Amino acid sequence: MQFELSNVDKVYVSSEENKVFGAKNVNIKVLEGEFMALVGPSGSGKTTILNLIAGLILPTTGLLKHGGQDITSMSLEERTKHRLDYMGFVFQDYQLLPILTASENIEFPLQLKGFSKKEIKERVQWALVQVGLEGLGNRFPKQLSGGQQQRVSIARAIAGRPQIILADEPTANLDSKTAAEIIELFLKLNRDFKLTFIFSTHDQRLIDQVRTVLYVKDGQISESRVHNV
Amino acid sequence: MNGFLYLLKFSYRNLFRVPKRTIIMILSLSLGCGFIIWDLNFANSGSREIMKDFLAQYAGNYHITHPEYYNATNKREFNHYKTMTDGDLKNNNLISKSTKRAIAPVFISGEKKTLGVLLTGLEVEKEKRLSTLYTAITVGAFLDKHGSKQIILGKKLAQRLDVQIGEEVAVIGQAIDGSVANDLFKVVGLLDFGGGDLEESLAFTQLHSAQELLSLPPERYHQRVSFDMDSEGLPLVKNSSVTSWTEILPEIAVSIKFIDNFTWIVSLIIVIVVSLGLSNTLMITFFEREAEFTSLNIIGAKTTWITASLMIEVFIMASIALIIGALLGFFATTLFHYYPINIEFFTGGKPIIMGGMTIKPLIKIYSVPQYYWQVPLMIYAFLILTMIYPLIRVIRRSKNAV
Repeated sequence: MQFELSNVDKVYVSSEENKVFGAKNVNIKVLEGEFMALVGPSGSGKTTILNLIAGLILPTTGLLKHGGQDITSMSLEERTKHRLDYMGFVFQDYQLLPILTASENIEFPLQLKGFSKKEIKERVQWALVQVGLEGLGNRFPKQLSGGQQQRVSIARAIAGRPQIILADEPTANLDSKTAAEIIELFLKLNRDFKLTFIFSTHDQRLIDQVRTVLYVKDGQISESRVHNV
Repeated sequence: MNGFLYLLKFSYRNLFRVPKRTIIMILSLSLGCGFIIWDLNFANSGSREIMKDFLAQYAGNYHITHPEYYNATNKREFNHYKTMTDGDLKNNNLISKSTKRAIAPVFISGEKKTLGVLLTGLEVEKEKRLSTLYTAITVGAFLDKHGSKQIILGKKLAQRLDVQIGEEVAVIGQAIDGSVANDLFKVVGLLDFGGGDLEESLAFTQLHSAQELLSLPPERYHQRVSFDMDSEGLPLVKNSSVTSWTEILPEIAVSIKFIDNFTWIVSLIIVIVVSLGLSNTLMITFFEREAEFTSLNIIGAKTTWITASLMIEVFIMASIALIIGALLGFFATTLFHYYPINIEFFTGGKPIIMGGMTIKPLIKIYSVPQYYWQVPLMIYAFLILTMIYPLIRVIRRSKNAV
C-alpha cells in the first residue's frame, strides 16, 4: 500500500466559535498504480485532501502514512524532501517558471535532487518523449500553447520517476480536444509505468476514464465508486 | 558544487524576468553609488585644494631658521628652533621648493597715519614659483626682480594709509645692529586677500631691499620651504619634528573635518533613500512571485533554497550595479579632474575667504582609492538590511504554502 489517510480531520480555526472542517473523518487507501479522482463542487474539500496527501498541510487529528512512514511526524523541510523524492505535481495553471525553457523547467526538480548532468539530460529527454514534446525543449513557456505547457508540467512531474502524481484540476484551463489528449497521456503513463495518479477534477470526460472516484462533500468522502475502465 | 552553480544560474536568469525593472534597479543603485563616490572625492578634493591654496599663500609654509641668521647675542632666544642648512634643504626629498626671506616687524607711514605691519623681503622669481602670492595682486604689479625699494601692500592697509600706486611710504624699524632703520619705498602693487585681516598687516619688498633696510648681511635670511601635501608630520632632519597644519590652523582643520563628515552624512542619507526605494521594489518583486515560491516549495524546493536564490539574485544585481557605479564615480571624478569645477557658481560670483585669504574657486577633483571599496561595501550592508523584511515574508509564505 502506498498511501493511507486514517480518520483524518483538518480544522481551520478563524476564531474560537468559528471552526471549519476542511476535511472530516477522511479514510483513503491508495494502492500502487491507482488512478483516482476526487470529485466535488468548489469548496467541498478536494484540494484540502490533496494537500494533506502531499504533506503541504498536516491533519488536525488522524494518521497520514506513506509506505509505512508517518508524514505527520516529519518536519517542514523533511516533508519538502519527501515530496521531492516520491511525488510529482501537475497544476491547473501549469506553474512553469517563465525564465526557464521547457527542458530547464523539467530539469528543475532533478537539479534539486542532485542528479548528475548526464542523468538529468537523459531524464529530461525521456520525459519530453513521453509527453510528445520532442524538439520543443528549447522553447520558453510563453512560446508554447496551454496544452503544451501542461505537457511540460506533466514531464516535470514524471522526470524524477515519482511513485505518485498529484494533480489539481489538470484539465480545467484546457479546451476539450487538448483536455482529451492530456487525459490520454495520464492513462498512458499510468498504464506504462504503473504511476499512481490522484487528481481533483470537475471534468466528466476525465471522471469517465477513472477507475476510482471519490465524491467529496463538506470535507467528507460521501461516496466512492470503482469503475471498470 | 553543481547545486550551487545551478542556484547561481537560476538566480541570474531571474534578473531577466522583468528586464526593465532590473535595469531601473541597477541604474538607481549604480547612479547612487557613482554619485556618492564622486561626492566624497569632491569633498576631499575641495578640502585638499583649499588647503593647498591656503598653504601656498601663507599659512602652511615652514620657516626654518638659518643658523647664521641670528647673531651670538640673540642665539639663546632662538635655540628652541630646529635648524637646517642650505645643504640639508638640497638633500631633503620631502621639500618641494624653497626660497629665502627676511622678515621684520616695522612701521609704515603714509600721508595720514603710521601703522605697524610685518614686512617680508622676497626672492621675487623663486617666490612666484613657490607661492601664489603674486596672483593676489589686483591693482598695480608684483615686485620687479631687478627693481629695488619697491613695496606691495595689502589693499586695506593702503586704504588706511591713504596711499596709491606710484606713491612712496616711509618704512621705519630696528636694524639687526640695534640702529633705527628707515627708508622710502615706492608702492607698486596692492594685494587683495578678499578683505581679511591679513590685508591690513602685510607688506612685501625685494629680499635685498629688506636686508639693506635691516642691515642684514646677504647670508642672513629665513629659508622658507614648502612640502608635498602628503609629507605632513614627517620629520625633516634628525631630532626635529614638523607640526601639521591641522595643529597650526585648528579652526580651518575643524571646518574641513566638518565638511568631510557632513559629506559622509549626506552620503548615508542618499544610501538610506536609495535602499528604501529598492526595498519597496524588492517587496513588490517578491510578493508578485509568492505564488511561484509556493509552487517551487510544492515541487520540492526548500525554503532555504528559495531564500538563497533570492539573496543571490539581489547580490548579482547589486554587484553589477556597484561595479558600474564605481566606474561611473571614477569617470566623473576623472572628468572633473581635467575640467575643474568653478565653485563661484555656488557663491554667486563672490570670492571665498577663509582665514583672511581668498581661496581659488576652481576645485580639481582627485580620486581617493578607498572610497571605491568603502562606498560599495556600505551599500551592500544596507542592501542586506533592506532584504530582511521581504525575505521574512517569503519564508513565512513558503511555510504556509497552501
